[in-house]
Amino acid sequence: MRGVTLDQPPETILAVIGPNGSGKSSFVKTLAGLLRSREGSIEVTGEAVTSLSPAKRVMAGLAYVPQEENVFRNLTIRENLKLATEFLRGRSGVGPAQEAQVLSLFPEIGRRPKTLAGDLSGGQRQMLAFACALLSNPEVLLLDEPTAGLSPKFVSETMEAVARVREAGVAVLLVEQNVAAALRIADEVMVLVAGRKSLQARASDISNADLADLFFAKMQ
Amino acid sequence: MLGQLIINGLVSGLLLALPALALTLVFGILKFPNFAVGATLTFGGYAAWVMNHQVGAPLFVAAAVAATIAAGLAIVCDRLIFERLRDAGSIALLVASLGLSLVLENICRFVFGNSTRNFDVEIARPIRWNGLRINHEQIVTAVTVILCVIILQLLLSASPLGRAMRATADNPALAAVRGIERNTVARITWALSGVLLALSGVLAGLDRAVDPLLGWSYQLPVFAAAILGGLGSPIGAVFGALVIGLAEELSTLVLPTNYRQIVSFAIILLLLLMRTRGLFGAKAVRK
Repeated sequence: MRGVTLDQPPETILAVIGPNGSGKSSFVKTLAGLLRSREGSIEVTGEAVTSLSPAKRVMAGLAYVPQEENVFRNLTIRENLKLATEFLRGRSGVGPAQEAQVLSLFPEIGRRPKTLAGDLSGGQRQMLAFACALLSNPEVLLLDEPTAGLSPKFVSETMEAVARVREAGVAVLLVEQNVAAALRIADEVMVLVAGRKSLQARASDISNADLADLFFAKMQ
Repeated sequence: MLGQLIINGLVSGLLLALPALALTLVFGILKFPNFAVGATLTFGGYAAWVMNHQVGAPLFVAAAVAATIAAGLAIVCDRLIFERLRDAGSIALLVASLGLSLVLENICRFVFGNSTRNFDVEIARPIRWNGLRINHEQIVTAVTVILCVIILQLLLSASPLGRAMRATADNPALAAVRGIERNTVARITWALSGVLLALSGVLAGLDRAVDPLLGWSYQLPVFAAAILGGLGSPIGAVFGALVIGLAEELSTLVLPTNYRQIVSFAIILLLLLMRTRGLFGAKAVRK
C-alpha cells in the first residue's frame, strides 16, 4: 500500500473495491492492527491507534470482521457473544443495553445460544460475526468481503444489515468484491489498484464505465 | 494380582495426567510441543524439596510455593525466549524448548548434584482391602490430580479466562480483534502449565524420589498420553494418561518390568500410522 489517505465521517459507508490482489484486504488488516504499517498513521475519533495492538484498537473503537474464520467455531453462539465484550471493560456503551439492541438486529442469533458456531451456515456465521463486532459499540466497523461465498439471498440480507449498522451511527468501511451490491448501499467509494488509491468519489457519481476503465487499466 | 495392577496403573496414569495437561494446554494455545515439560517438572520437584526438607515447611505448603515459583519461571521463560519466537513457527519454538529443557536440567544437577532427594513425610501404613494394597502416596496423588483436573475443567469451560484461552486456541487473529491480548493469554497459559508441572514434580517425587532425571523419565509417556488423547484436548490428555498408565502397568503381565516404556513407544507409533489426531483431537485443516 502506498499513499492511501482517507477520512471517513460517522454514519457513512465507504466501499473499498478493486481487482484481485489490489491490496483491499491488506488495507483493512492494517487498519485492524493485524498487519504492521511501515509508515503513516491511523486515528479513530482523533485518537492515534497506529502503535496499538489489535486488542487495544478495539478499545479505541475499531471493530473488524474478517472475510473467513470470523467466529470461534469451537465455541457456542453464547460464548462467542460473551467474548465480544468480556475483555472490553471500560469501553463506553458496552453492556446489556447494547447487547439487547444488537440482538434485535439479528434475532436469529439470540434464539440458539447453545449451538456451536461451527455448525452455523455461512450466512448465519456472518450475522454472528457482525453481532460480535457491534457489541463492542464501535465508532468504525471494518468489514472484509462479508458477502464472499454467500447465496444471493444472504448477500442482500447482509447488505441490509450493513445499512442498518450505518443508521446506528457507525462509520462502515466495506471491502467488497461484489461491486454492484456494495454500490447500492455505499455513500462513498474508494477504488484501489495495485496498492494505490485510483479513485475516491461519491457512490452516486461513479458510473460502470469509470469502474471498467479503472479495473481494465490494471489488467493491461 | 490383576486388581492391584489396575489400581497401580490408574494411579500411574493420574501421575501422567497433569504433565500431559500442561503439554496439551501449551500446544493448544501456542501451537508447539513443549519439550521442557520434564525439566520443569524436575525443577518443581526440587523447589518443593528445598521448601520441605531445607526450610521445614509441610509438604502441601512446599508444593504451593513450588507451584508459584514454577509459574513465575514459566512466565519469565516466555518473556525471554518464547515470546520473541512466537511468529517464527513451531519448529523454532520446539527447538527452543529443547534448549530450555537442557538448561533447567543442568541447573538442577549443578545446584543439587546427582543424588536422589526424598521429601520429609511421615511413613504411613498402606491400606489393605480385599487383598489390594493402596499406599498413602497413591491416595494423595489421586486426590490432587482429580482436584486439579476438575478445577482446570471449570476454569476452561466456565470462566472468562478459559473462554479467552479456548478462543485463542481456536483462532488467535480473531481473538486479538475481539480485544483479547494474545501475550496475556500466552503468559497465563505458561503460568498454569508451570503450576501443573510443579505439582507433578511433587507427586513424582513422592512416588519415587527427586533426581535430575525425574522429569526425563516421564517425558515419553507424557507425550504418548497427550498424543493419544489428541494434542490440544484437555479431556483427551487425561484419558490418554489413564490409558498409558494402565497399559504400562498391565504390560508387566507379559513383559519384564524394565521394558514397560516400550508401551508408550508402541502407542505413539500406532497413532502416527493410523490416527495422527489422536482420540479427541480436532481434525487438522490445511489453509
